[in-house]
Amino acid sequence: MITKQLVEQIEGEASVYFDIKNEKVDFATVTFPHFRGMESILETKPALDALVITPRVCGICGHAHLMATVRALEDAYKNSGYEVQLTQKAKLIREFTLVMEMIQNHLKWLYLVIIPELNKLLHYDGQKSTLKGAYGASLASKAIALFGGQWPHSSYMIPGGITSDPTHIEVMQAHHHLQELKSFFEKESLGTTLETFLSFESCKDFHALDSDIATLEKHLIEADMHQKGFAHDRFLILGEHTFSERTKLKHTRSFGVDIKFVTTKPSFSPYEKSFAYNALYKNDYYETGPLARMMSSGLPIIKNMHRRFKDSAYSRVLARVFELSFMLQHATKLLDKIDVAEDSVVSLVDIKKVWATGIGVVEAPRGPLIHKVTIEDGIIKNYTIITPTQFNIGSDTKEKPTSVQHAMQRLTKEDALFVFRTFDVCSVCTTH
Amino acid sequence: MEAQYSFEEIVRCELSCDVLVFEGTYDPLMVRGDVPLKKILLHYAKSAKTIIAAGSCASFGGMFKASAPERNSGILFDLEEKKGPLVALEEKVINLSGCPIHPEWIGYTLSMIAHKKEILLDDLHRPLELYATLAHHGCTRNEYFEWKVDAKGFGLKEGCLFYEQGCRAPMTHASCNKILWNEVSSKTRIGTPCFGCTEADFPRQNLFSTKTNMSIPQETPLGVPKRSYLTMAGIAKTFHIERLEGKLIDYKTTR
Repeated sequence: MITKQLVEQIEGEASVYFDIKNEKVDFATVTFPHFRGMESILETKPALDALVITPRVCGICGHAHLMATVRALEDAYKNSGYEVQLTQKAKLIREFTLVMEMIQNHLKWLYLVIIPELNKLLHYDGQKSTLKGAYGASLASKAIALFGGQWPHSSYMIPGGITSDPTHIEVMQAHHHLQELKSFFEKESLGTTLETFLSFESCKDFHALDSDIATLEKHLIEADMHQKGFAHDRFLILGEHTFSERTKLKHTRSFGVDIKFVTTKPSFSPYEKSFAYNALYKNDYYETGPLARMMSSGLPIIKNMHRRFKDSAYSRVLARVFELSFMLQHATKLLDKIDVAEDSVVSLVDIKKVWATGIGVVEAPRGPLIHKVTIEDGIIKNYTIITPTQFNIGSDTKEKPTSVQHAMQRLTKEDALFVFRTFDVCSVCTTH
Repeated sequence: MEAQYSFEEIVRCELSCDVLVFEGTYDPLMVRGDVPLKKILLHYAKSAKTIIAAGSCASFGGMFKASAPERNSGILFDLEEKKGPLVALEEKVINLSGCPIHPEWIGYTLSMIAHKKEILLDDLHRPLELYATLAHHGCTRNEYFEWKVDAKGFGLKEGCLFYEQGCRAPMTHASCNKILWNEVSSKTRIGTPCFGCTEADFPRQNLFSTKTNMSIPQETPLGVPKRSYLTMAGIAKTFHIERLEGKLIDYKTTR
């Protein structure tokens, strides 16, 4: 029997159609029913206007869209014979605000989605701690706004650099908000220091803690999530950053990748019109995002986790908590390296001289975000966007399940819906 | 903090509400949870005492009007014209334009409603306490505006962004530079032009450059007659104030 389940409290709307046999999910398809038309809105617009338009694709990862746009425009400059050499300062500040956006995303997901959904699954009343996520995220946003003017929907990255020219005061204020956020996260979430947490070598190390994260780990085991929610054990990272390298992993083995092998195809949605396209790499489905990035980071605890529990829902959830911790430390290092005396922008020729196609790839909170722009005479001729949810939460046939479809198979409907949430769906990005 | 009703219960249109908050462009063909959006909107709009259009899309059509310009609109206004689906209920509608909506603006509005205080509105149904002033008010670059010193490019602490970089703060009703964003900054403070996102014509085009006639901005600050502006600007430009023309801090040469 086919049952439709509306997925609530996400950006946008999504539905999962379950085919239940013997009370277990035999197969599930995913529908994203709303078309938003961002790509067509961008066509015929002046090229730089994309810096204002694309962040509006999403209210949670719009900053990643801004960076993908600016990288695509700079790549178009390069392909026109004008290579853009950013100053170290511009690179560091862009990277810092991107990392802070990732942090606020993970904090909200943890406290607004995963902890409450897991409590619901286990029928626990559980103390509501939604405001912890909101408070932590607000500190991260303040740090972004010091350089980006505001979050969300900043447009402070421009071809050649950034519009802001901070003094040591803004850098200090950013340090202050970050320090406040770290202390808050250590006290309220981890129950230990970031250093200790990141030096964990085994999942047993959680047992020494008494905190939100320790409870989360315990509940994941209680819900058997270490034995559920397996995807294909294939991972893909495409954005190049100070915290990631372009690579794919099959189990634990790493391979080189080329962006040209990324393709899309219409999703399989037999019961309702869906506007989503699935994203594939060399015609295969890969998992992207925190688990993928952490798998490639070489952190001992992630290796241990993967050895024991593979790419289960347990690993997927906790990899995010480790990435959050890792990023909090990484952000401090980025701030420390900023030299305010450097220039914010390098001067470039007028964008009207750029007749080319450019590709911008960024690691967004949920994985690779790809923007491709073609410019002629300063005007956008074509714009295409591929988002991380298209990689993770595609919908294909039973013979070729996507990561999320594979992960939901043979589970009860309730378990499957929780597993669906572990991929952190973003509907508005998917049907941009 | 938990939602009291599921979305499926809400779209059955059997409940009522005190305040209806509508987000996003109104698309008459949209269906949410298998129910036409129009039906859901009209049902809750009737029972609500106050209706809030949250953001520029819900207020005027905004960014996503462009995905279907012939049919998409705000809930009361379509750009500046009152021809959205809630025209008959217009006294109840408060527009909180902005892309995105400023969190403190919605906090203010809900708090005013909860405390039963009257909210005075402008012609476009925006609360005057939030939208009576311009985004220009409180901009840290104001001195450069006063003396007509333009920014020599992006990425600089110095200069006003109104003359070349497309800044619309002197023509835009908003309190971004008074309330600030995330309590710490604003676009213009960090050198990004204001794009006029609280106005009905957002998004305009060529957002990073100012349309000029003979190097004078085509649009003058709101309510300022062009001749007065030109006279004032002409005089100010003859002054050449050295302090405003150099760099505020030169980290490379000041030792």
